[in-house]
Amino acid sequence: MASIINSISFKNFFNYYGEYEDTRYDFLEGVNIVVADNGAGKSKFFNAFLWLFYDQVLDSDDKKKKNVKDFAVKIISDKAKNETSIGDQVQTGIKIEYSTGRYKYQITKSFTATRISEKITDFDSWQITIDDMEVDKTDHILPKYKPVYDAEEKQKIINQLILPTLRQYSFFQGEEVDKMIDFSKKSSIEDAVRTLTNISKYEDIADIVEYIAEKAEKDLNKQTKSTSDHNDRLETALETKKELQEELTQETEKLSEFNALYEAAEQEKNDLEQNFANAEKRKELDDKVSYKNRLLKQVKEDYDSFLDGINNRFFDGNFSWISFGFEDSINDFKEKIQVFRQKRYEKKALLNAAENPNDYFTILPSDSPDAVTLQQMIDSEHCYVCNRPAKKGTEEHNYLLKLKNRPHENTNQKEFVKNNLEDFFGNLQLNAAPFLNKFDAIPTSVLRTREKELELKQRLDKLSSELKALKSQRKDILIAGTESEGTDNASTIINQYKGSIRRMENASSRIERLKDSIKDIKTKIVNTEKEITNLRPKDIPEGYTVNYEISKALVDATLKAKERVFDKMVSLLENHANEHFQSLIKYNDIKGGVLRFEKSPSGGISLDYIDDAGNEVSGASEGFQRMKKFAVVMSIISANTSQYNYPLLADAPLSAFGKAFNKGFFEAIPEVFPQSIILVKDLYDKDSEDKLTDLGQDLMKNDFIKTFYLNEVDEELSQIERTTKLERRK
Amino acid sequence: MNSQEFKSNLVTKRPRYANSRIPLLEALANKGARSSEYSQFGPIYELYIYAMMTGIKKKTRLPLPPRQLTSDFLEIGKWKRDSSLVDFLLMVIFTQTNDLSIDWNELEDMEEDQLNKVISDVITLIEEYANGGLEYLENLHKKGELENSHYLFIDLYKTS
Repeated sequence: MASIINSISFKNFFNYYGEYEDTRYDFLEGVNIVVADNGAGKSKFFNAFLWLFYDQVLDSDDKKKKNVKDFAVKIISDKAKNETSIGDQVQTGIKIEYSTGRYKYQITKSFTATRISEKITDFDSWQITIDDMEVDKTDHILPKYKPVYDAEEKQKIINQLILPTLRQYSFFQGEEVDKMIDFSKKSSIEDAVRTLTNISKYEDIADIVEYIAEKAEKDLNKQTKSTSDHNDRLETALETKKELQEELTQETEKLSEFNALYEAAEQEKNDLEQNFANAEKRKELDDKVSYKNRLLKQVKEDYDSFLDGINNRFFDGNFSWISFGFEDSINDFKEKIQVFRQKRYEKKALLNAAENPNDYFTILPSDSPDAVTLQQMIDSEHCYVCNRPAKKGTEEHNYLLKLKNRPHENTNQKEFVKNNLEDFFGNLQLNAAPFLNKFDAIPTSVLRTREKELELKQRLDKLSSELKALKSQRKDILIAGTESEGTDNASTIINQYKGSIRRMENASSRIERLKDSIKDIKTKIVNTEKEITNLRPKDIPEGYTVNYEISKALVDATLKAKERVFDKMVSLLENHANEHFQSLIKYNDIKGGVLRFEKSPSGGISLDYIDDAGNEVSGASEGFQRMKKFAVVMSIISANTSQYNYPLLADAPLSAFGKAFNKGFFEAIPEVFPQSIILVKDLYDKDSEDKLTDLGQDLMKNDFIKTFYLNEVDEELSQIERTTKLERRK
Repeated sequence: MNSQEFKSNLVTKRPRYANSRIPLLEALANKGARSSEYSQFGPIYELYIYAMMTGIKKKTRLPLPPRQLTSDFLEIGKWKRDSSLVDFLLMVIFTQTNDLSIDWNELEDMEEDQLNKVISDVITLIEEYANGGLEYLENLHKKGELENSHYLFIDLYKTS
């Protein structure tokens, strides 16, 4: 019966803060989905099983696996750490319950941390003691748990959840799928076939029968020599056969060397291909990053210079903040200058009157009426001041003319003050104009400045977070790839790539020639053996001959059987893989391709994606590549037995591959896995009312989805306050 | 002395500040070396103008210490070159002449040395108001009441 995980619960495990009862997921047979955004506990969930199986967790910072004991301080929930006083203890643990047909097991792994100093994130601030693993067992009839004490049995119970040899197909995280299956490596397909079949037994049999055949031949030869009539001729024939066999051994050794060369070159080619693809992706991201960086730098400069410039607005006439509150002073100035001018006029008039009393038979103020009005009066021959006619040639008209010419006379007047400061004061008012009319507008101007700043700041924040996202994507590629930074330049990669292809071609042609030569030698050996049979005397006991012949036939048969089993398995895998592949890509628009497993010259298996016409489909998206591998994983499982007995635990198996792949995946997995627990973020939609994408809502309605959880973390809170809240939707 | 000469005599003067204000000036105005926890002015004259106007708003005149304990800086005419700013400031200053008991019309009849004395008094007025404004800022600074905001100065100015 299959192992089914009934529940998992956490205690102060990363963001899963609180007791086991507070953070418990219950699961059922069938598909179980846990939806969570980044940082909302997906990988932590996965980490619980890493702890269970291997006493390790994955450090999300460097994507390396760390031992629980060394990493303990980071595993404890920050909130729990913060709430623990110095000298007090906090316990962190995971509890998993699973059942098989008859029994139910409960496994608890935990450790206790004692706080010894102030800084909670310091490893030195805590003393860690790993608690004994608790395993309890019950049967379904008597649901009362009894502890298991035997260490071996405990381990057996853990292993039974998912067998260690099958974990690579049943327990994985995102891009691990890509590395799990590499069909160009001979060992990869052999591993799969070995896991699935009893092929190693055939190899054992082949070894035994070969040994028997050798012995039978030796015995026969011994008999032959002692009784033969023409010993010399037989001796020569036997010698020839021996030489041919030595030659065969040498050629076979050479063949395996060239096979190894071929495989190594092919491996290098594949690695470089991946590297090349990564390089392309990285280049694309690098371009984006550098564009955003430039933009960010520009906006940052704008923002900085804007901030630096805020105080300039005091002194810039366009803003004239400095004038704020000085309206009264300016009005005061205007009054003062009026008084000043008035006094001057009076003074000047008095002075003029004293010096030229004959000019002053009118009390019109000096400079009045003005030149324009005077001209009008002269033109219309009428005085507007006394409203009398002033015809041309009359005394009145002449007086108007005299008045009009007055400025000319004035310039000849001597200064009436020691220091003429009228221009000084007048020009101040004239020049200061930009600062004199903005009093009311300044509060609005300050407000606009703040708005503008906010706008720039928001732009800056948006760019920063976009940049951060791009950089983290790039980091993921670096970790997923196998390249070293040193061999990063494109031409090196291309040269290496070409080199590996050339070596593959060379090895391939040598392999062909060696195979021909081996075939040739084998034929010669067969002919020599016939000759030897003819040269053998007729009187040797029949048993020796029969023994020899049967054992030789057995060797042949065993090797052929092994080959057949292998080929049959490969073709079975191919059929299963295609079935799964078709259901996985059911919702994708691109259809029609099939997977074909091809034998490479070195005996490895390559996985090709072929269209109807038998051409290789190239450039298939990463989603298709991942689906190919999934199909193979599923085929390995489904080709094996009628029923697979272990759950599938996958963290982000399809991140960012799109809706169609996701849908196909969720529908296809129950074909193979009796239970699956899938952690995804692709179904999460922050902006939607129920936090799910359309596909998420859609899936939840399907009967084959048995439970559906949504994790949420309050990002408003500081890390120290943050906890993962789980909500069961189904 | 005509208008031009009078103005020229005025704007070629270099107002002074007390040496004790130097740390404050460095904290609040530091062109080219921006590293302060506060919003800053660029050149010293900006802070000086700001302080003077604040002093006028708050009506705080504070005499400078003896000349050997003071420093000068840019002449007034070079504050914000080619700008109407200085004219605006002089307008404001000349409305404060009640403090100096100067009648504008009387200026026009003064002897040159008397007029130079007036110019000197106007400069002293500028210095004393600026000193008053700096004192106000310095007190806030010492008490740690200067807010760390880019709008520090305009916010203060609006409430002054």
